[in-house]
Amino acid sequence: YWGSPLFQPPGENYAHPKICFFHVLFKAAALAFYILSALFISNFVIIFVVTVLLAALDFWVVKNVSGRILVGLRWWNEINEDGESVWRFECLDQESLARMNKKDSWLFWWTLYLTAVVWVVFAIFSLIRLQADYLLVVGVCLTLSIANIIGFTKCRKDAKKQLQAFATQTIASRFTSSIQSAFTVV
Amino acid sequence: MSYSDTIPLHPSSQSDIDEIENLINSSHSSVLPARPPSPPRASIPISSTPPPPPAFIPSNLPPPAVHKPTPVPSVIPTVPAAAAPKPPLPHPHGSTTSGGSSGVTGFGSGPNTLTEPVWHTVKRDLSRIVSNLKLVVFPNPYREDPGKALRDWDLWGPFFFIVFLGLTLSWSASVKKSEVFAVAFALLAAGAVILTLNVLLLGGHIIFFQSLSLLGYCLFPLDVGALICMLKDNVIIKVAVVAVTLAWSSWAAYPFMSTAVNPGRKALALYPVLLMYVSVGFLIIAID
Repeated sequence: YWGSPLFQPPGENYAHPKICFFHVLFKAAALAFYILSALFISNFVIIFVVTVLLAALDFWVVKNVSGRILVGLRWWNEINEDGESVWRFECLDQESLARMNKKDSWLFWWTLYLTAVVWVVFAIFSLIRLQADYLLVVGVCLTLSIANIIGFTKCRKDAKKQLQAFATQTIASRFTSSIQSAFTVV
Repeated sequence: MSYSDTIPLHPSSQSDIDEIENLINSSHSSVLPARPPSPPRASIPISSTPPPPPAFIPSNLPPPAVHKPTPVPSVIPTVPAAAAPKPPLPHPHGSTTSGGSSGVTGFGSGPNTLTEPVWHTVKRDLSRIVSNLKLVVFPNPYREDPGKALRDWDLWGPFFFIVFLGLTLSWSASVKKSEVFAVAFALLAAGAVILTLNVLLLGGHIIFFQSLSLLGYCLFPLDVGALICMLKDNVIIKVAVVAVTLAWSSWAAYPFMSTAVNPGRKALALYPVLLMYVSVGFLIIAID
């Protein structure tokens, strides 16, 4: 029944089209503005502020919204009672993770990596042309992209580790309990 | 511990069994929007060293119980079972898994942040910025304790303040506006990083991002000063305003920096901070 939010037609559509749109929107806007503005706008300050603002908004959206909703992952940093900094990686439980729309997560990861690659290319261009101020802009945007990539990749690895640990534990304990119940029956 | 029955249950499994039995007995709706946190164990938001989700630990229950639609936090970005707590409140169940970081504020609290509506996240972040600003720049009783000073660091506030300062300086400048902005931004950002590294290399105990966040928030008075100087062009007023805001910024940064290093090295840690703020002050005065 198509109305139920749980039922997803296998591999057909995006489950959260609006979120996907926003996920891509700010990245594309930052890149587009950077490219076009170098041609049309001579005032560097505007280029800097708008590009970096769009990149920062994208960072926030990916970290807090699309990461949560498209792939069920979240990461952040906490400072605990002892004053130590702790990085936390959070993911949904296995059942929900398995239910995630494949197209959503494909889009999420691919655009994440692709944006970083494009910024690296721009950084190389700025280096070659020895434009320190454009390099600054690209550097900031690249840092934001890389931070998200690292955070989410760690999250994903954690989730996989959990899945394995949980699976082996489930198998092990089911095995022992079924053996024990077999013995009690006998 | 040995029990009378043949299967020694792990003590925490007992509560899980109760939970599962409650599930079976009570009316189970098909989808629960967010998993209610189960008191004895940390539930879903599994951090770096997780316990497995309690509901799946098999015990001597009939198999169908495990396959029931357990209350998983599905990805419905609508109403969570409990609203995400506001930042200053301590998290009710604590992230009891690793690191012992209980009682720390609501950013990572419970299963609910994974399913909270977007607006809650926005509000939470905004209120965090405001509270951080108040903590750093205005007098409050926790200033002497660096651990508490900026527990909930964030970089949004510093980002806005640095950009604002750069914009103000750039606007005030009559020539070379772009260079002024770029220089101001690079100087402030690199300066914050270098100051932090300085404290770390002196053997101090601060956390990198916390310190960056603090130095950024301490720019707020200088922002105010730069704004006033932009509006009034009189040199004497500028000097007076810059002096006052400079003192304010230094006062804000002082306790955090000085308590982070051991007393013999206080001056070494503080002098560069003062130097940076003085140079920003000169930049503000000199721009016309």
